[in-house]
Amino acid sequence: MAGTDPRRFEEIDFEADATDVPEGAAPGSEAHESPLGPPSLIVDDLHIRYRIVGAGKRQAVTDGPAPGRVRRLLNRGGQHVGATEVHAVRGVSFVAHTGESIGIVGRNGAGKSTLLRAIAGLIPPSQGAVYVGGTSSLLGVNAALMSSLTGERNIMLGGLALGLTPQQVRERFDDIVEFAGIGEFVYMPMKAYSSGMAARLRFAISTAAIPDVLMIDEALATGDAEFRARSSEKIREVKDHAGTVFLVSHSNKAITQMCDRALWIEQGEIIMDGPSDEVVAAYAKSLKR
Amino acid sequence: MRSRHPGSGAPVSGPPDDELDAAALAERYGLERIGARPALIPYVRDIWQRRHFLWTLASGRAYTRNTDNYLGQVWSILNPLLLAGTYYLVFGVLLTTRGGTQNYVAFLTTGIFIFSFISTAISSGASAITGNLSLVRALHFPRALLPLSIAVAELINLIPTIVVMLLIIALSGEPITWTWLLLVPAVAMITLFNAGCALITARIVATARDVRNLIPVGTRLLRYFSGVFYSIDYYATDSLASLVLAYQPVALYIDIVRSCVLVETPLQAHLWWLGAGWAVLFSVVGFIMFWRAEERYGRD
Repeated sequence: MAGTDPRRFEEIDFEADATDVPEGAAPGSEAHESPLGPPSLIVDDLHIRYRIVGAGKRQAVTDGPAPGRVRRLLNRGGQHVGATEVHAVRGVSFVAHTGESIGIVGRNGAGKSTLLRAIAGLIPPSQGAVYVGGTSSLLGVNAALMSSLTGERNIMLGGLALGLTPQQVRERFDDIVEFAGIGEFVYMPMKAYSSGMAARLRFAISTAAIPDVLMIDEALATGDAEFRARSSEKIREVKDHAGTVFLVSHSNKAITQMCDRALWIEQGEIIMDGPSDEVVAAYAKSLKR
Repeated sequence: MRSRHPGSGAPVSGPPDDELDAAALAERYGLERIGARPALIPYVRDIWQRRHFLWTLASGRAYTRNTDNYLGQVWSILNPLLLAGTYYLVFGVLLTTRGGTQNYVAFLTTGIFIFSFISTAISSGASAITGNLSLVRALHFPRALLPLSIAVAELINLIPTIVVMLLIIALSGEPITWTWLLLVPAVAMITLFNAGCALITARIVATARDVRNLIPVGTRLLRYFSGVFYSIDYYATDSLASLVLAYQPVALYIDIVRSCVLVETPLQAHLWWLGAGWAVLFSVVGFIMFWRAEERYGRD
């Protein structure tokens, strides 16, 4: 996560305000009664390492005696040359089934978003493998398409990128605009949008095609109460189509309400994997300590 | 939805799921390994299926180039005009490299416009992957669409430029002939070559991004070696040097375009065959080279 999301400051805990998910939105206990479908996604000993170019080697700035002037001069050069390798995901394995919704919890920088991107096939694994059945799509809040194009053209672009035909995109155009709730702004360049509008449009585009595996990264934390309600509706829709949903969120409440299983990730490794209420409770307990 | 899991529903024989390793379990339920590089033929087929995406991406890119200015798309005509004016001032008036040419204005204009068509494709191709990482990390599509869309976007941008070019050429006293129509196959050939170049530079810069800094140096060298503002036949007296200079693809393409629109440059069939050969060579080599790293784009 550290390298992929420059807007870390937005990753505050949304627990306080993300409470508008309607009650009874597929609570964990209910979903457990239905038997699990066949596996839809298998992650086998996944490792992700990536380079941050131009970051150089980390050096101890704060501890140890102050280095001499010459040493500092030499170090200064090294700081801006080369690359640092980040080992973001370290040996994660699990099996997800159809009809299952899985929440991923963990601290900032624990590797949640990187893991999500990797299982969506967007970041190639350094080691290990991911197997998936059918189509998968990732919804994120920070991925804009082309900001200087109008929302209208971005809808076409995004829809086509998802593998729809131009005809299918045109058919769903009104639904997308309505779902995003941006009205006449759809004919303005996306750079004129507020961040909430852009995120909603992006979400609406990505859900235009119902994927077999849907992955959501913090999407529920943006937008107003009404939008959140509609999003959880979309998640149910995917589950009804026997799809699998992954949700990364800092809102513990959203995870327990929308997911029946949760993974707790710390430093790129799975700490706990089980029913969402149990995992979230354990995670919340560790935060308080 | 579609039938996604061939194994689902059917009674499963053999050991229970828990005892299988990941690969065997994936095979039992018909799951595909992702992040693995697709075979060449399915990859080409996938690109063909996404051709509408390619077109939307290219036209979007072509359109956005000038949206930051008040004059907007007018700059797509003003820019080449100003460029031609600058070159005429330097090489036509101050340095006079007009040796061996009869209509220097037309000769220079063709050279500059066709060269910048090629060089922009090379330099924008270099950032096709590194400049679109957010797109690469957000959506799943054959990555070759990014450099290919740059070649198509340059083609779209060329259309107003070519109109200006033909106007200048006609005003400079060149007769309008049927051979002007040969511009269409010539430009098609160059676009294929551009696509190959964009694929190659995109791949190289995605793997070793420092090379990006060498691209401007490379295109500048190419500019001086391609007879953009001087006649290679007239100035390169050494036979080997003139051979290399005249038959390298960029100089060859400029020469071919000149033979379409200028009376002074004769049409030569063997140049066209050679030009087509370069285009096929670069696009095939570029495509395979790009495809071989398909699973690695977007890692950093």
